[in-house]
Amino acid sequence: MRSRLIGVAAVAAASALVLAGCAGGQGGADSPIVVGSVNTISGAATFPEASEAAAAVFDAFNDAGGLDGRKIDYRAEDDKGDPATASAAARQLVGSDEAVAMVGSASLIECEINQKYYEQEGILSLPGIGVDTGCFNSPNIAPANVGPFNDLTLTLQYGSEVLGIDRICVLLEIAGSTRPTYQAAIDRWSETTGKELFYLDDTVPYGASDYTPYIVKAKQAGCEAISGNPVEPDAIGWIKAANAQGWDDVTYLLLTSAYSENFASSVSEAGAGIYVPAEFYPYTAPSDINEDWQTLMEANDIPLTAFSQGGYLAATFFIEVLEGIDGDVTRESVAEALQAMDPIETPMLGTPYVFGTAETHDQLTAGWPIVLKSGTNTWENAADDWLHILD
Amino acid sequence: MLQGALAGLAAGGLYAVLAVCLTLMSRLVRVVNFSQAATGMFGGFVAVWLVAHAGLPIWAGSLIGVLLAGVLSGAIGWIAATWLAEADTTTRSAMTVGPLLLLISLSFILFGNKPQPFATIISGPAFEAGGVVVSQVAVVMIVLAIVVAVAVHLVLTRTRIGTKLRALSERPTTAELLGIRSKPLSIGVWVVTGLISGLAIIIVAPSQSNDATSLAMLIVPATAAALLGGFKRLDLAVVGGLVLGMLSGLVAQIDEVALVRNFLPFLFIVVLLLWTQRKEVWDAAR
Repeated sequence: MRSRLIGVAAVAAASALVLAGCAGGQGGADSPIVVGSVNTISGAATFPEASEAAAAVFDAFNDAGGLDGRKIDYRAEDDKGDPATASAAARQLVGSDEAVAMVGSASLIECEINQKYYEQEGILSLPGIGVDTGCFNSPNIAPANVGPFNDLTLTLQYGSEVLGIDRICVLLEIAGSTRPTYQAAIDRWSETTGKELFYLDDTVPYGASDYTPYIVKAKQAGCEAISGNPVEPDAIGWIKAANAQGWDDVTYLLLTSAYSENFASSVSEAGAGIYVPAEFYPYTAPSDINEDWQTLMEANDIPLTAFSQGGYLAATFFIEVLEGIDGDVTRESVAEALQAMDPIETPMLGTPYVFGTAETHDQLTAGWPIVLKSGTNTWENAADDWLHILD
Repeated sequence: MLQGALAGLAAGGLYAVLAVCLTLMSRLVRVVNFSQAATGMFGGFVAVWLVAHAGLPIWAGSLIGVLLAGVLSGAIGWIAATWLAEADTTTRSAMTVGPLLLLISLSFILFGNKPQPFATIISGPAFEAGGVVVSQVAVVMIVLAIVVAVAVHLVLTRTRIGTKLRALSERPTTAELLGIRSKPLSIGVWVVTGLISGLAIIIVAPSQSNDATSLAMLIVPATAAALLGGFKRLDLAVVGGLVLGMLSGLVAQIDEVALVRNFLPFLFIVVLLLWTQRKEVWDAAR
């Protein structure tokens, strides 16, 4: 009886040791540092490049020896654009995998779904591309990109102040609860420029196959320029619908989501021009500013898009902060370092990046105007400097 | 109002072509082919790849794309004719969901999930009516839908092969006992509808959103359109497609109801089912 008791105790002790070993795996001096990210990789509107770019940066960092020998174990989950999956992915990464931070995420819904959870767990997130409202109004999330809301203010400002267009119409594709934030972006433009919107249609659907009815409506109303927030496939749909209507004198004021080579090759009739405030330094004109990013992306076969620029920057910012941490790398020490970081100036962004302790994070307010003209199939720089939102 | 309706014509024409194909399949080979648009989409994507990467001229790339759509559809038909020859319509239809998902995934793997730079075969405005430009694509689609419907009707009623096909669809066992070979004929129907939907999608894709999912999911409005003719009448399938396209154009014009536009095919289906079932008592309908 006694020996049996000892046996049971021994097994229990052994299991406890094994379990303790598993749980303690994160703290070891040479165990990998887990970094997570939640992305919309499949579904109606996808953002796959940001986390791919971040992964490429981390791979290069690991190959160069990592953080004094400690590697970064980067785990990017797909939320499929589905709220339940986004929530589960965050809980998997933060709860079970014990990620120290979220870096390079790009999702249609993730920020809004998970921001409370991140606050509760004390984890900070540096999305590569912040898309939804939640990415810009939480103390725990600070994207590396300007975001669609400031981007909309910028593109409207460019249309009215630089191109001098009077009748600007906005067509919005609304996902989740982004409607009031887009309205705020439009209001900000009105307040800073004194201009009024000519026409607003917020009923435009994501991923529709034919946008002709919306385009016809805008054309009938007498719009000179169409602005809005279509994702890439939808933007192509808008322009094709306008082409089919023979509407060739309309100017498009779109967001960074349209800025890609794929987009440029898909659109040959671009009306009076498609203008976009690039959220990062334009990569379609040759320059050394993007050289490091471009080499890395090409080596890893990742498309050159604004999304991969965002993912690349988020990961580089994170590594810079990580290297400044003295002592153990834990979720707490990473959060502390991010909140205390000095602003990072990079020529790839028009405003310095800082995480800091602000309650909201929409401090990136500059875009580089670029244009796609009819028949060229290539983006060109439309300015020599960053365009900042007016005060 | 009229403007909105006219704006939906191009979409309506495409729905009509696909609805005619669906009706044809349902009548002759007892199947609701959910992969109808997906085979066309895949053929179209291959055509784009051939033009953009293999340097083929547009006509040659498009031709290969259309033929591939026919071959793919024929392959699915071969599966249905070989292993599901005796199965009921529901089982045969359910089988086609497999190729639908497979083709979407495969095109994601091969071509990525971004829209493809389709080269235009037909583009530009055809004429103006009520202040709205009706595009050439819209005209071609409507003509194609009507031509296919009329041609199918003539083939079925006036030719020997049409008589055989009708015999097979109405009395399969008797027809086979009379010596009509069912397998080549039914695979032929699959190939022909594959070719037609491939052609329709290659014509329409340059003028609309053309990522794999959008194109493959054209099957939803097409099914709704075919339902107007109860998957039996070709003329009503054409009308159904045009009405659905024009309705969705109309709805998008009216701000108060614009949000319904996405659900319009489903509403269309529900209303049609309620109408066709109106005389059934609950227990009988069930």
